[in-house]
Amino acid sequence: MLLILVTVPATAAGVILVIPSSRPGAIKGTALLFATVGLAFSVMTFVAYDHAEAGFQFQRQWQWIESLGVTVHFGVDGISAIMVLLTGIVMFTGVVMSWSIEKRLKEYFFLFMILLTGVYGTFVSLDLFFLFFFYELAVLPMYLLIAVWGSTRKEYGALKLVLYLVGGSVLVWIALIAVYAEASLGTFNLLALQEVEFAKDFQNIFFPLFLIGFGVLAGLWPFHTWSPDGHAAAPTAVSMLHAGVLMKLGAYGIIRVGMTLFPEGVAHWQVLFISLATVNVVYGSLAAMAQRDLKYIVAYSSVAHMGLVLMGLATLERTGMSGAVLQMFSHGIMTALFFAVVGIIYDRTHTRDIDLLQGLSKRMGLAAVLFIFAGLTSLGMPGLSGFVAEVLVFVGAFRTFPVAGVFGVIAAMLTAVYILRLIAKVFYGPLDDRWQGIQDAARHEVFAGALLVIMLVLVGVYPTPFLDVINSGVDTLAAGLGVGE
Amino acid sequence: MGMEWAWLLPAVCTGAFVVVAALGRWLPGRGSLLAIGAIGTAFVLFWFVMADVVGNGPGSFSRAWFDSGDLTVRLGMRVDKLAIVMLGLVSAVSLAVQVYSLRYMRGDPRFGWYFALHSLFAASMLALVLADNLLVFYITWELVGLGSYLLIGFWWERRSASEAAKKAFITTRIGDVALLIGILVLFKATGTFELSQIFAMAQAGEISQTTINLSTVLIFIGAAGKSAQFPFHVWLPDAMEGPTPVSALIHAATMVAAGVYLVARMAPLFVLAPGVLDLVAFIGLTTVFIGAALAMVQTDIKRILAYSTISQLGFMMLALGSLGFTAAIFHLLAHGFFKALLFLGAGSIIHAMHERQDIREMGGLRSRLPATWVAFVIAGLALAGIFPLSGFFSKDDVLFSVLDNRGVVWFAAGLIGSVLTALYVARLLYLVFLGEPRSQAAREAREAPLGMTLPVMALMAPAAGLGLLALAWGDYDGFGSFLVFLPFGSRPFEFHGAVFWPSLALAFSAFLMGLSMYRQTGGVAPALVRRRIPWLLTALDNKLYLDHVYQWTVDHVVLVGSRLVALFDRAVVNDAGVDATGRATRWSGLVLRYHETGLVSTYMLTIAVTAMVIVLIVITTG
Repeated sequence: MLLILVTVPATAAGVILVIPSSRPGAIKGTALLFATVGLAFSVMTFVAYDHAEAGFQFQRQWQWIESLGVTVHFGVDGISAIMVLLTGIVMFTGVVMSWSIEKRLKEYFFLFMILLTGVYGTFVSLDLFFLFFFYELAVLPMYLLIAVWGSTRKEYGALKLVLYLVGGSVLVWIALIAVYAEASLGTFNLLALQEVEFAKDFQNIFFPLFLIGFGVLAGLWPFHTWSPDGHAAAPTAVSMLHAGVLMKLGAYGIIRVGMTLFPEGVAHWQVLFISLATVNVVYGSLAAMAQRDLKYIVAYSSVAHMGLVLMGLATLERTGMSGAVLQMFSHGIMTALFFAVVGIIYDRTHTRDIDLLQGLSKRMGLAAVLFIFAGLTSLGMPGLSGFVAEVLVFVGAFRTFPVAGVFGVIAAMLTAVYILRLIAKVFYGPLDDRWQGIQDAARHEVFAGALLVIMLVLVGVYPTPFLDVINSGVDTLAAGLGVGE
Repeated sequence: MGMEWAWLLPAVCTGAFVVVAALGRWLPGRGSLLAIGAIGTAFVLFWFVMADVVGNGPGSFSRAWFDSGDLTVRLGMRVDKLAIVMLGLVSAVSLAVQVYSLRYMRGDPRFGWYFALHSLFAASMLALVLADNLLVFYITWELVGLGSYLLIGFWWERRSASEAAKKAFITTRIGDVALLIGILVLFKATGTFELSQIFAMAQAGEISQTTINLSTVLIFIGAAGKSAQFPFHVWLPDAMEGPTPVSALIHAATMVAAGVYLVARMAPLFVLAPGVLDLVAFIGLTTVFIGAALAMVQTDIKRILAYSTISQLGFMMLALGSLGFTAAIFHLLAHGFFKALLFLGAGSIIHAMHERQDIREMGGLRSRLPATWVAFVIAGLALAGIFPLSGFFSKDDVLFSVLDNRGVVWFAAGLIGSVLTALYVARLLYLVFLGEPRSQAAREAREAPLGMTLPVMALMAPAAGLGLLALAWGDYDGFGSFLVFLPFGSRPFEFHGAVFWPSLALAFSAFLMGLSMYRQTGGVAPALVRRRIPWLLTALDNKLYLDHVYQWTVDHVVLVGSRLVALFDRAVVNDAGVDATGRATRWSGLVLRYHETGLVSTYMLTIAVTAMVIVLIVITTG
């Protein structure tokens, strides 16, 4: 099943490559078909995952380079299962939102699908070599996707993004090689390496490499500045994927590689970890308040929300970590919705300046409703997914570092300030004459948006099925860290 | 048990919200009838639940919602007498207001959505009073705030409405931050969100005094935000931008009372923190004066009522801080009815005046709007605390607890507060209904249609006669015995000469004095004050400059702070840190003569080479 998951987007990329670019309908149709299949398999993986049994399930292993101990090894636990679900949803809605792309359609969807192959691969790989391979595979198409199809200083944004992420990758790669050498098991198998007890000093030296290396992609302060520029420059669906899924790869890497391999290392650096996360949350919110470009606001808000993910992880406490993983899911859906609506607005008005937009609800009622849902999730309104995740993170933080928790709660209030200010400016008030003729979200856009809204409400009202799966993964993680039970 | 039925009250309204919001446009009356049917059902159910609770005692209900780690979050609900009082108030006023809105909002393009929001609000508010778990309480508290936000901004095309909605939400959200931190502080100390367990631990002395003090202060800040207490009160007058029936329901009778209800609900914790109760009483008294003084100078009929609400909520807080929990809730109940009546009456006046709200343009409406005039007199005199209307009993109860627990000085201050109340009520009644009409609209005003006057008349009964609840009759021992707060015993209502005579005499004479003063001068503000102490009037006209102070803080502290962070992010983290690194890399790329191919390919080459080298090293050494 997991192999199918990885090969669906890869096959889609292959098929798209052979369709002549003179047939855009066929390309879009193929992309949509494969995205639907991918979504179906993602849902199946998530539903079929038995959280009572926990552990890594659906495992398959194939030898690759025997002399190096590299194997193709797939498997999911509770944490990766929900990430797979998230990827499926964002992929599907992303394809739907890309419907109006006309420029170099074929190359666009090809790269899009390559990127998704990388994302799926990272989430299901249990072999560090392939985990890293897929991780890189997910990052590299970003450069072209932004530089070719983007807007607003796109070359600058793309270059900066890639340089940054690559810098992070170098750190990760160094640490991976070090782990491989130190363990001297001759294997990249994550499960085998987890059994190794690395020397305390070794852990203390190399954990920061994972934290910063993966943290770059998760938007860890002060390595986050690629995010606003990159997001602003990227086309709609790429922003959705990027903030929705790719940033989670970073957090996932910290969990899967950093925290499971180096339990003592993370404990050693815990104070620094949670301090950086707290800075993330407050700094991101404050920076978002000063922005005037819709995408920059959402991007800085992502920095703040990813800070909550990192804060939850840094508590090293089960409730907090579960909250972090749920926040990864919730933020992924929410931010995909944000970028989708921003894309719709930009498409109609060709501006993202909140000082120019006003009263859009009059003409774009449906887009406004979608945006308000995302906004309410973002400011932690109960009944929507963000609230449940935030409460868990705050509970974890209060148990371990109450000061971080207090800052987290205050930042949630700051979020309300900039989100409501944005809604009041852009959607409320009298309609500007200039926007008299604009069209509301099209039917397919509303469909994609509604799917995301349904997920936000579902998790917000009935989080149990999601939390059960997450908890099973986090319990194992916590046991490895020596906390819990 | 009562809980078997009680959960249905919020549940039917939630159902109505979902159906009306989703399918409203295809329903008869665009969903309005379904919404009214739901709240009507809730109102009927209320009587059964009350009978059950009175007969069989409180009931509770709890089921796991979600869990994570060793935390289980339960949907805990409990129906006891305190909840019953609130359920009755909320369902009755909601029903009256929704029926009234049927006519008032007719022809509005978002008619169905309006009723969907009312259902959302009613559901959240009913769930709020049933909450027995601090997290559930916080959830409903936020949802009530959401309903308020959406209804204040209901006419969002108006810039002022959208700004007012934002201001209301953010101001109360500042209080909510404190509330949530308070809840989490309690959770850290007790390991639970369940109120009953927290109270048991507090009484057993298992919670440290520091925790109790800290958490009660934080919870009170949350309550002060929602209940528009000084210095958070600034959002409430602006909230009058919403449709008038909304002001009647949310910003007079129910949501703004939620803060008072919260403190009463947390009474077992607050009584353990006497210092915090001093703070509650002090803030309450301050708010009484500020609200009453500002009500005196406003010219917009809704804003007068809004400041009056602020002032009355201050009275309730004053009572809470003086251990008069029952008195506070009784005043909450009475105020809920008479203030809703005043607002609905104001709605009829505004309707008749063609959306004009300035009392300087009114006058002489008594003969034009007779039913509204009667409603205003009853509710106004109740507000002024004139015997035998409901407000007299509740305010007397409040003043008695102040005298009893805080002494003569505080009591005297409370009396001054009620004198001010009587004065602004006199001013309002005179300028709106008596004298000569001061505009064409006032001369041509017509009484509102029956669809609006009927609910107004229905509210007259409780506004006038609710005081009866204070007294004992038959099996009923009076409100003081009905609603008992541990550790205090029952306290039946008595006519205390020390409270009764001074308060009634002062209120009555102040009322008459106010009437005659306005009759003589006919002005909008007392000429005497304007001549003698002009600075006071200027200060009041500027709402004591609080809005200026906040605006300044936001502009010069918060926004400057956030701009600094943004600038820092651009200039230091980005330009100096990142782009300089980029330039350095580019420079080295130049040196390596790879600059034409761009950095990405350079990088890819580098990483590929490095990887190969490392792999080679590993193979050869391993």
